[in-house]
Amino acid sequence: MAAFGSFAILLGLVLCAYTFVVGTIALRQIAVHPQASFGPERLAESARRAGIGSFIALSAAAFALIYCAFTNDFSVSYILHHSNRALPWPYKFAALWSGQEGSLLLWAWLLATYGFVLRVRHKVDVKLTAYASTILAAVQVFFTLLIVFPAPPFALTQGAVPADGFGLNPLLQYPEMVIHPPMLYLGYVGFSVPFAFALGALMMRYPGEKWIHITRRWTMVTWLFLTCGIFLGMHWAYAVLGWGGYWGWDPVENASLMPWLTGTAFLHSVMMQEKRGMMKSWNVWLIFTTFMLSILGTLLTRSGLVSSVHAFAASSIGTWFWVFLLIVLSVCLFTYILQRDHLQSEHKLESLVSRESSFLFNNLVLLAACFTILWGTLFPIISEYVEGSKVTVGPPFYNRVAVPIGVFLLLLTGIGPILAWRSTSFKSVQRNFLWPCIAGVVTALVLMAAGMRPWQDVGTLYSLMTFSLAALVMTAVGSEFWRGARVIQRHTGKNMLFSLVQLTRRNTRRYGGHLVHIGVVIVFIGFAGSAFNQSNEQEMGFHDSMTIGPYRLVCQSYTQDSNANYDSEYELLNVYKNGKFLTQMAPERRFYHASQQTETMVANHSTLERDLYVVYEGRNQDTNQPIIKVIINPLVAWIWIGVAVMAFGTLLALVPNMSAEQAARPRKQQAEEEVALTAGAGD
Amino acid sequence: MRAHPTHVPRVIDRSLLRTWFQLSAACLLLIFMAGAGDTSARYKLLGHQLMCTCSCGQVLLECNHVGCTVSAQEEAELRNALNRGDNNQLILQGFVQKYGPTVLAAPPENGFNLVAWIAPGLVFLLAMFGTALLIRKWRLQPVAMPPEMAADPHTSTILAKVRKETEL
Amino acid sequence: MTILACAALSIGIFIYIFYPQSKTEEQTQKTRLEFLQERKETIYENLRDLNFEYRAGKYPEEDYLAQRASMENEAAQILSEIEFLETSMHAA
Repeated sequence: MAAFGSFAILLGLVLCAYTFVVGTIALRQIAVHPQASFGPERLAESARRAGIGSFIALSAAAFALIYCAFTNDFSVSYILHHSNRALPWPYKFAALWSGQEGSLLLWAWLLATYGFVLRVRHKVDVKLTAYASTILAAVQVFFTLLIVFPAPPFALTQGAVPADGFGLNPLLQYPEMVIHPPMLYLGYVGFSVPFAFALGALMMRYPGEKWIHITRRWTMVTWLFLTCGIFLGMHWAYAVLGWGGYWGWDPVENASLMPWLTGTAFLHSVMMQEKRGMMKSWNVWLIFTTFMLSILGTLLTRSGLVSSVHAFAASSIGTWFWVFLLIVLSVCLFTYILQRDHLQSEHKLESLVSRESSFLFNNLVLLAACFTILWGTLFPIISEYVEGSKVTVGPPFYNRVAVPIGVFLLLLTGIGPILAWRSTSFKSVQRNFLWPCIAGVVTALVLMAAGMRPWQDVGTLYSLMTFSLAALVMTAVGSEFWRGARVIQRHTGKNMLFSLVQLTRRNTRRYGGHLVHIGVVIVFIGFAGSAFNQSNEQEMGFHDSMTIGPYRLVCQSYTQDSNANYDSEYELLNVYKNGKFLTQMAPERRFYHASQQTETMVANHSTLERDLYVVYEGRNQDTNQPIIKVIINPLVAWIWIGVAVMAFGTLLALVPNMSAEQAARPRKQQAEEEVALTAGAGD
Repeated sequence: MRAHPTHVPRVIDRSLLRTWFQLSAACLLLIFMAGAGDTSARYKLLGHQLMCTCSCGQVLLECNHVGCTVSAQEEAELRNALNRGDNNQLILQGFVQKYGPTVLAAPPENGFNLVAWIAPGLVFLLAMFGTALLIRKWRLQPVAMPPEMAADPHTSTILAKVRKETEL
Repeated sequence: MTILACAALSIGIFIYIFYPQSKTEEQTQKTRLEFLQERKETIYENLRDLNFEYRAGKYPEEDYLAQRASMENEAAQILSEIEFLETSMHAA
């Protein structure tokens, strides 16, 4: 199977190289001789089909690797190092992305999959798709080269083949780990598609803005994958790593956040181009940057340039990425310089107080956040170069620098939707902002009356601001829904709920987008809870108890267990809240045989108000009694709820619009049509 | 008690102080009195300003990396230093001397490292300024309006058609 | 076995790529008319949006009227060009 896998990868390389080279030749010929014969078009068609073929070949390769994992083929070095016989089967899938070679194969395969969908749906715009397909093939060539030369997943084990593998990193043996990396990769890889379309549209001087319409869904789906990937990673860090937090500003985390920030900026500002023909150069560069940042992120974490907790596989493929990044940058620059006259704006900004300018500021803040994170990630390298000694840029730095930017962004989330396109006069600003501002101020006052003291420390100040802004944004978005629904209601004469549904169906992108903003607000509420974390650590033997917040934990027993995959130690704790029995928790620690690694299994009792997070820290060497760490994390559950809302909003935005006339048709007319319909059905 | 003396000066918002003067003064007094002897708060604060040096990349007090001998030792050192009565600056200095500058969780605010702190804000301000200039420039240019349509009957039928088709 | 699988895969893909096509999709350049239709759609959408937001109470009347007039003129211009192109196409 290993030989078949290697062959399939090679075949994939040949095919995407064919797509790239022949596709380029065909496009060139068509461009030079627009009236030429049938030849170049057939060439282009064969290039498209070869692209589809590369998907089949790489699928075969991915299948071969999974087959090797399932059949415990330890003659393949990668399987030997990332799997073992006792590993439960879902994690054998995860073996595909638990190491460098496998994840690069996954990357190449996902890229081929996106390419497959793009090439199959080429009738949307044959010429533009041909350009995008060729550009995508170039990216494919790079990633396939990586798994042919520096990181072959089917390399054979040297010497005698051991009877069992070294196992999967126990940190990765967690259900979410089966979906988190593919989600994240789908996000990273997905930006290649809008990138390819944007570059293609620029190269061919695509008339009009229809290409944005074509790529809109691609961008949103990609953004959704990246968002889910990032939050699944947060949840995994929270539930598995056992330090009680969900975001550690680790380079790997930062690397995923950077393209997310620029991608979010792109999603917003591209609307200005679609609607008003503005900011074309800016958008082109935003999507170029997003694509390059997703490559840079991989470079930073895979090349060992910056050290990271969960760079699960560091190696020397950095040079490959550097070269690729340089090529991409040069191609982008060259194309831009050559074609920049094609990117003239059709309109000018008409007013500082308009949705356009709020998008401008939104972009600015998102990019500032992206720069801050990039800066923080790279500063250790810069400092080493300048000063000769490395420094650490850790959570305290980001908390001080990035958190204010986040709060500012939250404010813009509230302001943006209220402003109208083109210009908003002072009178309407007054009218539209009154209630949201009142909501914000009242919330702040109520919270201070309830005992929040923002002057005591920065954390409380930020969380008070967050809660207050959350109220502002919620009111602003809520009033958008309400006012829109009222218009529909007046027009159709139906009830409010129906009108709300019609309103949303009429412009799914806008109201789906508002829903995403509500999700963001909910996530921020979850973040704001972290200012009130409490923790306690204590040795807890039989019947010992610990009190923290409203909870009292009492040790019932502690014991040991063993199975084929791991040994475990755990403690049973009865939890009482305000004197009443609440639940039983069992924090655990496992020792995995194959990898010889120890791992903690967190016990978490999550409610909307707070999480009770219990970690089995180990045993005291002297007394042999377990040490238990308890953390109270207020409002964390809201983060996961907020993400669900964000995902729902994005999915809603993907639904095609109902036609405007249909959504706002008066009731009388609708009733008449219904009557006609039933009459027709009776015939 | 969460707050502590070293934290106080940076945190207090001046405008709030004016408004809530009396209350804040009382609070301050309370914080100073309670915070002076509160080593556990200082332990938490300093423990979050230091890194575990076992290369796990975690903040000292959040290092839960199993079997990590380094963090336990560092924590003990921190506790000892606090019990000795050293001030925060001295303690951090001691750690830097023993473990190198990477033991600090954030770059120190002096010398070249100051750049780390200033750059993001500076870039943000410059970008703000740039955007404001851009908007100003755009607004000063006349808006590209379509030429006024002549009021011939054909045009008005087209206009009527447009209005009808885009009513709602 | 492996050789057989490799051969089957490559031959299958090879046939798929080079199988003679009776008809290939043409890479047409977008015509002026198509471009104008797209523009019309965009302006229509913006106009509907403007009307809707005005009814939702987001614009004061004078802003609304000015913006509507400018957009309607733009739309009318495009519509008359479309009309002209269509009639000349029919004539030809």
